Amino acid sequence: MANVSDTAHAGHDDHAHAHPSFLQHHFDTPTQQFNASKLGMWVFIATEILMFGGLFCAYAIWRGLDPQVFDDAHHFLNKIMGATNTVVLLFSSLTAALAVRSAQVGKRNLTSFYLVVTLLCAAAFLVVKYFEYSHKFHLGLLPGHCFGHPGLSGAIENGREVGTCLRTTGTQTTSMPEWVKAVDEGGQTRVLPPRANMFFGLYFVMTGLHGLHVLVGMGILTWVLIKNVQGKFSKEYFTPIDIGALYWHLVDLVWIYLFPLLYLVGKPE
Amino acid sequence: MVTEAHAHAHDEHEDDGAVHVHIASTPFYIGIFLVLICLTVLTVKVSYYDFGAANIVIAMVIATTKAGLVAAFFMHLRHDKLFNTLSFLGALLFLGIFILLTYDDLSKRGRLDPAYGGRVNVQTGQAAPGGPPATSATYDALPEEAPATSGAPRPAQKRE
Repeated sequence: MANVSDTAHAGHDDHAHAHPSFLQHHFDTPTQQFNASKLGMWVFIATEILMFGGLFCAYAIWRGLDPQVFDDAHHFLNKIMGATNTVVLLFSSLTAALAVRSAQVGKRNLTSFYLVVTLLCAAAFLVVKYFEYSHKFHLGLLPGHCFGHPGLSGAIENGREVGTCLRTTGTQTTSMPEWVKAVDEGGQTRVLPPRANMFFGLYFVMTGLHGLHVLVGMGILTWVLIKNVQGKFSKEYFTPIDIGALYWHLVDLVWIYLFPLLYLVGKPE
Repeated sequence: MVTEAHAHAHDEHEDDGAVHVHIASTPFYIGIFLVLICLTVLTVKVSYYDFGAANIVIAMVIATTKAGLVAAFFMHLRHDKLFNTLSFLGALLFLGIFILLTYDDLSKRGRLDPAYGGRVNVQTGQAAPGGPPATSATYDALPEEAPATSGAPRPAQKRE
């Protein structure tokens, strides 16, 4: 392949910038390669927006149909934890942008440092998310075949009382009125609104898909970090760092909308 | 292009094919980050006040401002090729169309009328596609399976 490339460009191979090692043979110049990569990434980002868009559409429709459920159910989310994660992600976006900047000016070690900080922030985000999820699992807010509102659903599904299975501990089954109550994030015991599973179904799928993107982003940034430590990048060629950072900013962008839509909107008390 | 670049290989004002991007300063990025933090604090603070229907509008305006800052500066769209921005905004445009058309479909789709067992258009009260005519049939007169075939459960069995 290299031979073909050399032959094809034999007419002007005297030029130092013409065939750097990072330039693939089907591109004329590094600029063309860089612009093609960026365009490809932005088209990918467009598809990502449309994928999350289906969930945002479901949110808009369900919220429009039954705003009261969202008002009531969002009190079970912890605003402080959500805001903490927002700040963590925004900070990781800053360090990702600074990693790209360091690469642009050729400071390889600084790039590695910023990438490590970004990865640590990503891990911190997932740790906070773990505490939020496990708390909700404990309250029985996880949607599933057991999750329903006994007072409205008729309580019987496949011969079993809907909702009781998550609350069964040993031989004791908590009575149904107890089941539909849970302590919200304000410390107040609150009756779960009917169809609260609509809200928590959206909550878990939207934050779950976002969490998956955090994991994928960590994988991408780790790969970029390894390549950077190996010295594959330079002031002339930092495209993978740029593209990896773009992915990470996308994760941040989605969370910027998820945070207010899930944690904040709804009537305060 | 290539030939031109090689003809002026050592002239910095010509396109030598190397990547030249706008490089913002570190303090600039930190400034953007601080603005983003201020907006986050603001959106949490205002969530403790009730502005009625404006709640979601305020939250979305602040979120869109933050997203705009991230896209324009952290994601370099401000100094990038315009076409990348158009790809991004195009996705948002089609997302908007998607949500609006879904809303439109939902508001014009027939609902099962418990009094008749047929599908009616909520706005007009007229029979809607997807079920027996609402105006000429009564619930009792319908065949037993009629509501089920129309794709919706009978009201008595409706699960919420």
